[in-house]
Amino acid sequence: MAKVLEVKELSKQYKKGVYAANKVSFDIEEGEIFALIGPNGAGKTTTIRMISTLLQATEGDAVVAGHSILTDPKGVRECITYLPDEAGAYKTMTGKQYLEFMAGIFANDKNTAKQYVQNATEMCGLGDRLSDKIGSYSRGMIRKLLLSRAVMSRPKLAILDEPTSGLDIINALEIRRMIKELAAKYGMSFLLSSHNMLEIEFVSDRVGIIAKGRLLELGRPNELKIKHNVGNLEEVFERVVKDNEISDLA
Amino acid sequence: MKFLTLLKKELRELLSLTTILTLIGSVVLLIAIGGVMDSAVEEAASSEGEIVICNKDDGAFSDAVIESLKTAGYEVKEVELTDGDYAPQLSDLEVESVVIIPETFSSSITDVLAGKLGEDGKIAPVDVEYVSKMTSLSAMSNVDAGSQMALSAIESAVKSVVYANKNMSLAEIELIEAPVNLIETTVVGEKQAEASSMLLSSYSMMTGMIVPIVIFVLIVYSSQMIMNAVSTEKIDKTLETLLTAPVSRLSVLMAKMVAATVVSALFAVAFMVGFNNMMGGMTDMVSGEIDSAVISELGLNMTTGAYVLLGLQMFMSLLITLAVSLILGALAKDAKSSQTLMMPIMGMAMVPYMLSMFVSINDMGPAKWIMYAIPYTHTFIAQENVIFGNMPLYFGGLIYQAILLVICMTIAVRLFMSDKLFTITFNFGEKKNKYAKKKSLFSK
Ligand SMILES: Nc1ncnc2c1ncn2[C@@H]1O[C@H](COP(=O)(O)OP(=O)(O)O)[C@@H](O)[C@H]1O
Ligand SMILES: [Mg+2]
Repeated sequence: MAKVLEVKELSKQYKKGVYAANKVSFDIEEGEIFALIGPNGAGKTTTIRMISTLLQATEGDAVVAGHSILTDPKGVRECITYLPDEAGAYKTMTGKQYLEFMAGIFANDKNTAKQYVQNATEMCGLGDRLSDKIGSYSRGMIRKLLLSRAVMSRPKLAILDEPTSGLDIINALEIRRMIKELAAKYGMSFLLSSHNMLEIEFVSDRVGIIAKGRLLELGRPNELKIKHNVGNLEEVFERVVKDNEISDLA
Repeated sequence: MKFLTLLKKELRELLSLTTILTLIGSVVLLIAIGGVMDSAVEEAASSEGEIVICNKDDGAFSDAVIESLKTAGYEVKEVELTDGDYAPQLSDLEVESVVIIPETFSSSITDVLAGKLGEDGKIAPVDVEYVSKMTSLSAMSNVDAGSQMALSAIESAVKSVVYANKNMSLAEIELIEAPVNLIETTVVGEKQAEASSMLLSSYSMMTGMIVPIVIFVLIVYSSQMIMNAVSTEKIDKTLETLLTAPVSRLSVLMAKMVAATVVSALFAVAFMVGFNNMMGGMTDMVSGEIDSAVISELGLNMTTGAYVLLGLQMFMSLLITLAVSLILGALAKDAKSSQTLMMPIMGMAMVPYMLSMFVSINDMGPAKWIMYAIPYTHTFIAQENVIFGNMPLYFGGLIYQAILLVICMTIAVRLFMSDKLFTITFNFGEKKNKYAKKKSLFSK
């Protein structure tokens, strides 16, 4: 299958000598949902921001649908959408105005923009509330609005940083279901991140375990559980981190 | 097309309903202040001819003085006052000031006329008491100069009574009362006119106070407006979303700058209109005493050209404020730090604002160069420079500001074109490294 994203030894140093991301490498295939999992401060957001062309990589490269973040960031931005963690929206706009504004940014003509708004309106399930000011929305409503915005243009790769963090179970479930449906229906690829390793099992095809800037393990959740002989991804994470500390000492 | 979409959104954000209402409110307020001043002037003028007198003297002279005050055109109101606490009595009588003619009034005039000398061998002056209420700290409210007026009115009344006793002719009396006629000429820049310098300087002090207030409010307001807009985008991470969208970063930045400029220009124009109306009220205030033709003869009024020059200066200051606020807002990590980041702008506006109210910055000696280094100073002294014809200083300031603006814009563009926007943050009042703490919890 065609690769939508190839990350090649991507590194970032905010301060000289301190790696927030350290030679991170992984691929995402078409229609695949990939999740970076790891605790707070592991380097997930840093990696994601480099791929989204917000941060300049100190070393390494990432290629999105044939466009390198180093040489063709503009081309990358044509293929991706990005939903930052803990993101908000313009509080003084109504949900509909927000979707129309963002559609105007992503689409190149009016008809396409209209189509995008329609896609998002159907998906977000906010109904009449779309004509209310975003300032009056709950967290879950904002997240659904932003997620449907992020996928309304059916990008090749949607990058979602902590898409379910801070949400209650019902909202988190709904968001996960939306993601799965979009990947199956439109063949969209997703790069997710989460510090909640248990919930990510249900949504992602493959995961990468990251800690202290280093990608320690890659694979399907089931394979990883069998490989490390444990019951869930949290325990996989514990094993992987311990093994690495031992090999670091050796 | 995408730039227009961005611009429209920025304009809509900046021109929210509250902003528009604030704008309209300020203009209405300025015009209203002008109206209040206008009526204050009229009120002062209407009470000008009234003198409240408490006559404790039962001699002939006090009656003669009151009579001659009436002939001189004053409206005399006689009241009764008892010695001691005047405050409640003034309130009861609903008067602001009272002239008290003491019991000894007639007898001391009789003494003087009889050539009787006081204990020190000189003619004892005739006592008159004046009681007035200070009702406010505002210079304008106390400006009616009641004591001066009452004193001179009674003085001339006493004089005419005395002269009448000496059988002098009217012409003789007039010459003695006003032996010298002072013709005052005031020079402003290269112009001159016949007018009292004291009256003129009180006029220019009043007008010179308004422009700095407008400038100060405008700088602080627009700075806050942009800073809020940009830092909210940063904090809500809508800026990140925009910068990963298929639009150029430069157009994101330019849309912000253009929108901010349009809105600020709108503010500047609105303020100037309101200000001009207010000045109308101010000019009426002094026109009773100075001919307004004299003011324009001297160039002390604001001509259209002067307004354009002043407006240009204000606009320049606004652009610098916008660029700096944009940079600072983009670097703020939370709402609190964006408030803290406003302090330097406030300070830079406050210092020349305060100083220009009390001293002439151009006459400050070597310290003036420090003031000239603050870009806002040039706006605060622009009115003075234009009126007094210091054009090199005016244009020098304008060029200096233009250079600063280019520098600020370059920094803003650099900031938006690189990832510095996300790697440099000013973070005040918050714990330094929240990641470090969580990390150590995790590794336990
Ligand atoms: N703008 C920044 N400047 C300096 N260090 C940063 C910055 N952003 C993140 N870091 C550091 O980089 C490391 C990884 O952070 P991050 O990528 O945000 O982790 P995660 O998203 O996995 O929680 C952390 O140690 C964090 O302190
Ligand atoms: Mg993160």
